[in-house]
Amino acid sequence: MANDAAQSDDVIVVDHVSKSFTLHHNRVSSLKGRFIGLFKQRWRQHVEHFHALTDVSLRVRRGEALALMGANGSGKSTLLQIVAGILRPTSGRLWTQGRIAPLIELGVGFNPELTGEENIYLNGSLYGYRNAEIRRLVAAIVEFSELGHFIDTPVKNYSSGMYMRLGFSVAVHLNPEVLLADEILAVGDVAFQQKCHDKIAELQRNGMTLLFVSHSMDTVKRFCHRYVRLDHGKIVESGVFERDQQADQIDGSVSSSTQQNANAAASSDRPGNAVT
Amino acid sequence: MPTAWCADCFNLCVDELGLLIKMAYITNTAGAFGRLWRYRDLVRNLVLKDIKVRYMGAALGFAWSLANPIVITFMYLMIFTYIFPSTQPHFPLFLVTGIVHWTLFSQVIGQSCEVLVANSGLIKKIYFPRLLIPVASVLVNLVLWLAALGVYLVFYPLLGGKFSLVLFVYPLYLLLFVAFIWGLTLILSTLYVEFRDLKHLIEVALQVLFWATPIIYEVGRVPRHIQEVMILSPLAEFTIIFQQIFYANKLPSLNITMAFFAWTVVVVGLGLWLFNRRVPESVERL
Ligand SMILES: Nc1ncnc2c1ncn2[C@@H]1O[C@H](COP(=O)(O)OP(=O)(O)O)[C@@H](O)[C@H]1O
Ligand SMILES: [Mg+2]
Repeated sequence: MANDAAQSDDVIVVDHVSKSFTLHHNRVSSLKGRFIGLFKQRWRQHVEHFHALTDVSLRVRRGEALALMGANGSGKSTLLQIVAGILRPTSGRLWTQGRIAPLIELGVGFNPELTGEENIYLNGSLYGYRNAEIRRLVAAIVEFSELGHFIDTPVKNYSSGMYMRLGFSVAVHLNPEVLLADEILAVGDVAFQQKCHDKIAELQRNGMTLLFVSHSMDTVKRFCHRYVRLDHGKIVESGVFERDQQADQIDGSVSSSTQQNANAAASSDRPGNAVT
Repeated sequence: MPTAWCADCFNLCVDELGLLIKMAYITNTAGAFGRLWRYRDLVRNLVLKDIKVRYMGAALGFAWSLANPIVITFMYLMIFTYIFPSTQPHFPLFLVTGIVHWTLFSQVIGQSCEVLVANSGLIKKIYFPRLLIPVASVLVNLVLWLAALGVYLVFYPLLGGKFSLVLFVYPLYLLLFVAFIWGLTLILSTLYVEFRDLKHLIEVALQVLFWATPIIYEVGRVPRHIQEVMILSPLAEFTIIFQQIFYANKLPSLNITMAFFAWTVVVVGLGLWLFNRRVPESVERL
């Protein structure tokens, strides 16, 4: 159904998607427990269905950037996981196109015992790349991450900042057609954050589609054309950012008026930049 | 009430059957295989990672995979030389043949439960064909085990084994054996997400299975009526097959081959079905 409805320039179509998690109170995760539960009420698990997403529909066109906003626990990460194919919707349909790079977390699959370079290969292959393709990108990834000769040492010796830098560098250098970014840009020092922002802007100019979760209205406005606000798993608000701000921001020149705007918006959104 | 329950069961069965057919269809299509094939470097990287991290490099990994069969063989050789002297000709060859193959089985199955849970960090954060995780896990053990097999083949003539043409069928049976083990890994790793005490059950089961399989004794020593039951066990069938190839230098009989082939098909089919059906929902419980 979603398939037919999708237009050729749609990259993500979320069609009436709901997701409920089964919460097991008094969870029994053993054969023994299940067996006793047949006879004793006290051992039985009580199951509750928790609706993390309710009837969410949205579509994102190629090259577009959509921001997902909302308080903690409103279902943003769940939605990203569904779009990434990690979770299955309980009902509704999902349709995507192109190579999706989920950045649900930086440095997914990094093994602390492996060196930075070995982890680049492992991480790249998790995204479906061949080792030969990754080999051509290694130099650029290492340079961007500013890890220098640390790249040959085990990742367990990295500081958390270095870890994040490497994770981010791998993901953005794999030329994803769709980037799903979940509150990942609030890491690293200011200089590196700026570099990350520039890199994302560059990828966007090259046509990358972005689905972006952030609490910072400032950052969101910089990259995104549109936003959707979730509350308790429902879309409660959606809107479009004004075009001129968008252009300003992408150039990297932050005019003071937009800055103020953004701050005002951010503070009306929620106090402080809470991180999930 | 019971009729409603029966109807439910029946509907469930019909549903499952439909799914099973669909699944078989999907797994058979070139598309699904192509998708997995595209990720072949992931399997390679996962295997290399495991060998490096778990065994601190290939050399040590090989050494450890040798230690287990050597120690077991040595112990039983002691017992059957000094305490219960065996009258069987070339008994060490018989013993080693069974133990080498048992080692592969017990090592993979012993770790099989944790395959998904240990990789939950990956599974919850990124999408890739989940089937490749058990593939990589079996391959890691297989690669290390091949060293043990190599050593076995070097000692094979010394223990009185004859290199005959029969050995040429061995790779086929080994392939079936590995497929069987992989299917079992799919089943156990999926169930473990729900039943976290499965691991203890498997430890016990492996102990029982070792003795219930004609590894350190000939199947002919067992009373006839027990033998008939014993031979139903896929592991007994496999052990007998390998003993026929290496020890008796005979082609495995058609009956036992068919029986084992059937076991492998059933276990792999069940494993794929269970895995594909349960794992997408299991992700949120990892
Ligand atoms: N695997 C899970 N099992 C049960 N509940 C979950 C699971 N994942 C998320 N939830 C619940 O779903 C809700 C939405 O979570 P999430 O999508 O992470 O919110 P956000 O990213 O917007 O902060 C939360 O209340 C969370 O507790
Ligand atoms: Mg979140």
